[in-house]
This record gives sequence, structure tokens and C-alpha cells, in this order.
Amino acid sequence: MKPIVTMTFPVSIQNLKKSYAAVPAVQNVSIQVQKGEIYGLIGPDGAGKTTIIRILVSLLDADGGEVLFMGRNVSQNVRYVRSNIGYMPQRFSLYRDLSVRQNLRFFGDLFHVPRHIQEQRLKALYDFSKLGPFQNRLAGALSGGMKQKLALSCMLMHEPDVIVLDEPTFGVDPVSRAEFWDILKMLASNGKCLLVSTAYMDEAYLCHRIGLLDKGRLLAQNKPQVLIERFDFPLYRIRSEQPHKIYTQLKATYFEKHIQLFGDGVYFIDRDKSGSAAIRRRLADLNITYDKFEPVKPTLENLFLELMI
Amino acid sequence: MSRIFYLVQKEFRQIRRERAFIFIIFVMPFIQIVLFGFAVNTDVRYVPIAFVDMDRSQTSRRLLTAFCANETYTYSGMAATEEMAKSLLDIGKIQIAVVIPPHFERDLRTGNRPQVQAIIDGVDGNSAGLVLGYVGQIALQLQKEWLPDTGMPDGSPPVGLTEIVPRMWYNDSLESKNNIVPGIIATLVTMITAFLTGMSIVREKEIGTLEQLMVTPVHKNELIIGKTLPFMVVGFLLLNVGILAAGLIFGLWMKGSLLALWGFGLIFMLSTLGLGIFASTLAHTQQQAMFVVWFFALFAMLLSGFFIPIENMPRAIQLVTYLNPLRYFMKVVREIYLKGTPVIYLWKQALFMLVFGVVMILGASARFQKRVG
Repeated sequence: MKPIVTMTFPVSIQNLKKSYAAVPAVQNVSIQVQKGEIYGLIGPDGAGKTTIIRILVSLLDADGGEVLFMGRNVSQNVRYVRSNIGYMPQRFSLYRDLSVRQNLRFFGDLFHVPRHIQEQRLKALYDFSKLGPFQNRLAGALSGGMKQKLALSCMLMHEPDVIVLDEPTFGVDPVSRAEFWDILKMLASNGKCLLVSTAYMDEAYLCHRIGLLDKGRLLAQNKPQVLIERFDFPLYRIRSEQPHKIYTQLKATYFEKHIQLFGDGVYFIDRDKSGSAAIRRRLADLNITYDKFEPVKPTLENLFLELMI
Repeated sequence: MSRIFYLVQKEFRQIRRERAFIFIIFVMPFIQIVLFGFAVNTDVRYVPIAFVDMDRSQTSRRLLTAFCANETYTYSGMAATEEMAKSLLDIGKIQIAVVIPPHFERDLRTGNRPQVQAIIDGVDGNSAGLVLGYVGQIALQLQKEWLPDTGMPDGSPPVGLTEIVPRMWYNDSLESKNNIVPGIIATLVTMITAFLTGMSIVREKEIGTLEQLMVTPVHKNELIIGKTLPFMVVGFLLLNVGILAAGLIFGLWMKGSLLALWGFGLIFMLSTLGLGIFASTLAHTQQQAMFVVWFFALFAMLLSGFFIPIENMPRAIQLVTYLNPLRYFMKVVREIYLKGTPVIYLWKQALFMLVFGVVMILGASARFQKRVG
């Protein structure tokens, strides 16, 4: 029965463990990604996103657990994995001194894609990436967004069913990021299975499912909307020009565990459900001045900070 | 196998795009050969000389003119006393002082063996040795000239001096360029192939393409061949540009077989390519790779016999040079260039280079494979 179960998940990671010289990097992480799904690994730098991805694409060995790609054990099928998976490393890796077309053809050649099929795929890839007019330009002369679309295109030359992207939009402008995610969504709707890591919280909402990762542990995983519903305390924003000042003031009080610091103010989690009026009274007692006190809807960021405690 | 072709094709496209490569391959050999060939000149000329003549005779003047007629010395003046000559040496005005004792002419005639003193600035040991040699030559020449006039103390008839006429084979004029220029060709091939291989692999590490390449069906061995083969071709081109430069600039063409030099060159490059791969496994940036290569290449050059004859080294260091592949290549290049030695007499060097090359390239590749995981 087992192979049938795992085959429904092109990517299946069970109880993955990995340490770097006694420092645990990944602890008991289990992730499964379906066909047609975008799974987002969300977490700050050093959370273990890259480690999980590198183990999945066979670049690292796991210390424990089971990692399956298309139902096959990754560490025992390295060549199969490398020939069939689509992987885009953290920095978009392409040859800056080769032209757009030469880059694409190079990866097509390495995967032994026949020339006439390469031509067809080039056409399709130029279509969605809009790189066609630049096909003879050197990759190094492209803008950041276009470079990243080229890297993605190179990786699609062999039409992998599973696509793994490590922080693909890092350092790219917002417009290009949106375009890039449109392409990812299109790939998912074509039945591809995508695992994407990102440190941008706004991109989490674009995934079908996400896993919140911190210090090598998976804090929670589900659809983004479902996860947010888990945040079931009333939430208020104490708006201020100097949120840091209010934060340090409150940090020294009973409310230490109730507050989250953000750029636009301090967020107050009403754990005791004492209500807006009571909190404002307490703030006045503490001589804390602020611009505005307002109820807000929780976001993934609020949830993440809450789970990290 | 066809993947190697694609990797090599890609590498050449990158090499062609890089202007610096074109410069390195086609211009650098000319510049190096011109610079080193003219500058690295161990022939000693125009050494400033001063005399202390305490005899002031015809014979002592003859001695003076003998020194000054020679291109080796430039007359810088007379000093009244030995002390004055020494102070001239101290301040660096002259590099040699010749002191002719009083009664030089008389003692010479009566067979009392007068002694002429030469004081030489020994800071630069190499040229001091050569200056001393020239002094000996001049002395010999004058003795021959004066022999008929000198008497023996016991009144026996004058004797004939045995003359030694040295003749340097393979390098008649004993010109250093004949020795240096083939050496430059050997070091050029060493440096450039090791540098370029190391830097090109590390560059792929830096920009992340190496990681991308690892997650493709490309086998690690294919990757290594794909990364080294292009630079073997570059090294081969460089070798030929070097040969051409030596011929065109110094008129120095090899006496032996070009085919043999090609073959030895390719065998030798196994070692330098291995060094390049090895450097890439130690380095994270191209600068680091350059440092690693430079570190090893410098030792290889110093211990190759390029500047310092291996016979002059202490025994222990001589033994170390046997581990230096460049030592063998240096020898082979010079032999083929100056003597035209047939290949059969160089089989030992070829064997050593082959063994070192295979060990280095396999060892470095194994290390590379471990590193990239």
C-alpha cells in the first residue's frame, strides 16, 4: 500500500532530522506536497529552509527521517532525483557571460532534451517569461526580475514535475515578484508540484499551504487562512511614532507576554479577554502615551510571533 | 559523454567573451618573454672600478688599461690610498677596487711574485662571483703577456703557462637569455593553467552555478573533465604562443622536436590542472583561489632550477625538488630548446611528470567530489 500512498505526494518528507556538528538545523520536520500545489516554507534566516531544500534535492544527507521524491528514497536515488527534479538555488544561478538563449540551451543540452523539442520549449518559455526579445542579450545585462525569470526558465527546460525554489524572489522588486508568482501559479495549475521557501510574509498568502519554520522546527502547517484562524485572541494596535519606546516600557510590566513590536506600532494580544476599555485604562495607569488604539485583524506575522514564543 | 561536449562548449563561449583571457593567452607570453628575457640578465657588465696604484710604473699602467679595455668594468677613478678605495666601496661609488702594491714592476721582473689585491663588494653574491672570475681572466692574460720578461729567482728559463680556454656547449655565448627564455615558457604554462582552472571553478561556486549543475544529470567526473579540458587547450595555445614569442623576439628556436615539447607539455599540464582543482576545493572566492595557486606555484618555480641551479641547493632541498613536477618540465624544455635532446633520453622526466600529474589530478578530483557533496 505504501508506494501508492507516497505517489500521491511527489514530495514526502517524514521526521527529517539534520544537525551541523551537534547544532540541530532541522528537527522532526514532516512535509508533503501534492500535485498542483504550491507549498511555502516560511521562516526567518537560519530557520532551516535551505537545509530542508538541499536535502530534498540530494545535495545534503539527512541524519534521520525519510525523504521521498516521486516515491523514491532520495539518498538512494541521487541520479534519478538530479535528472528529474527542478531546482533553483538561493542565488539565481546562470551564466552572466552567456546570452539568454545560450543559457537556456545549455541546460536543455545537459538534460539531453532533443534539439527540436528544445526549440518548442524555448518558444513556450519566451511566451510566459517575455524574454523573447532579449534572447541574444547577455544574462548579466538583464534586470533582476528578468534574471530570475531566466533562471526559472532554465530550470524548466527539462519540464520537471517537481519544482523546488529556494527564496526565488529575494532581492527582486515588488512588480517583478508579483509577475514571478503569477508564473508559479500557472505552473501549479498545470499540475506541477512546487516547494518554495521565502522570508517574505506577503508571499505566504500566495501559497496553497504553508509551513511556519523556526529554529529547525515546523511550528504549524496548513492553508494560510486556516492558520490565521488559529489566532483566537482579540488583537489591538497601539499606534505610535516611537513604537520601540512603548515596547520597552511594556516589556518591563505584567504585559511582557502580550505585546509584539512592529514598525507601525505595538500590537497588544488580549490574552485575558479583558476588553479594549480595560487595556486603555491600564496603559493610562502606566503613563504610556500613544497616537491611536484600535482593534485589528491578526496577520500571519502576528501568528508567527505568537507561535515562536 | 556528450555532456562533456556541452560543458566544454559553454566554457569556450565564456572564455571567448572574457577579454582578459585573450590578453592572457596571446599578449602575456610576449610581455613576459620581453621583460624577463631582457631584464633577467645575469651577465655582469659596466662594474664601476677604482685603482690604487702604489707602483706607478709602466707595468702597473698596463694592468690598469687591461681592466679598462674590458666591457665588464667602467673606470671610476684613482684612489690615493687603500683606505680611500674602501670608503668608495662603502658608499657604493664603486664595486671593485684593485690595489697594486709598491715595487710591483720590480718584483715581477725578479720573480718575487707580487700580489695584486682586488676588493669586491659582495652584497650581490652572484655578480661578485662573476667579477672575481673576470679578474682571474685578466690576470691570466697579463701573465701570459709578461712571461717572456719575467725571470725565475733561480735563473732557470721562463716557462710556458697552460692556457685554459673554456667553451660552453649548447650556450656558446653563455648568455642568460638562452637559459631564461625557455624557463619563462615553462613557468607561464604552469601559472596560467593552474590559475585559470582554479578561478573558473571557484567562479561557478561564487555565482551559484556549481550548485545548479550538481542538480542536473551531469556526473562529477564529467564536470571535472568539462572544467579542465578547455584550460588544457588554453595552456597548449599558450605554450605555442610562448614558443613563437621566444623565436620572434630573441631568435631562439628550439633545436629539438616540437612534437616532443607538445607531448611533454600536455603531460605536465595534468599537474597544473590538478593544482587548479585542488585550489578550488580550498577557496570560496576567486581571490582565495589565486592565493592558493600562487603559494604553490612560487615554491614550484623556486625549486625548479629556473633561477637557482638545483645543484647549488643543500642536499635536503635538492631531495624536495624531486617532488616538484615543474623541475622535470623545466629540464625537458631546456634540453629540447638548447640541446635538441631526443625523447628517448627524457623518458625519466616524462614518467615522473606523468606519475605526478595522474596523482595530482585524481587526488584533487576526489577532494573536489567530496566537497561538492
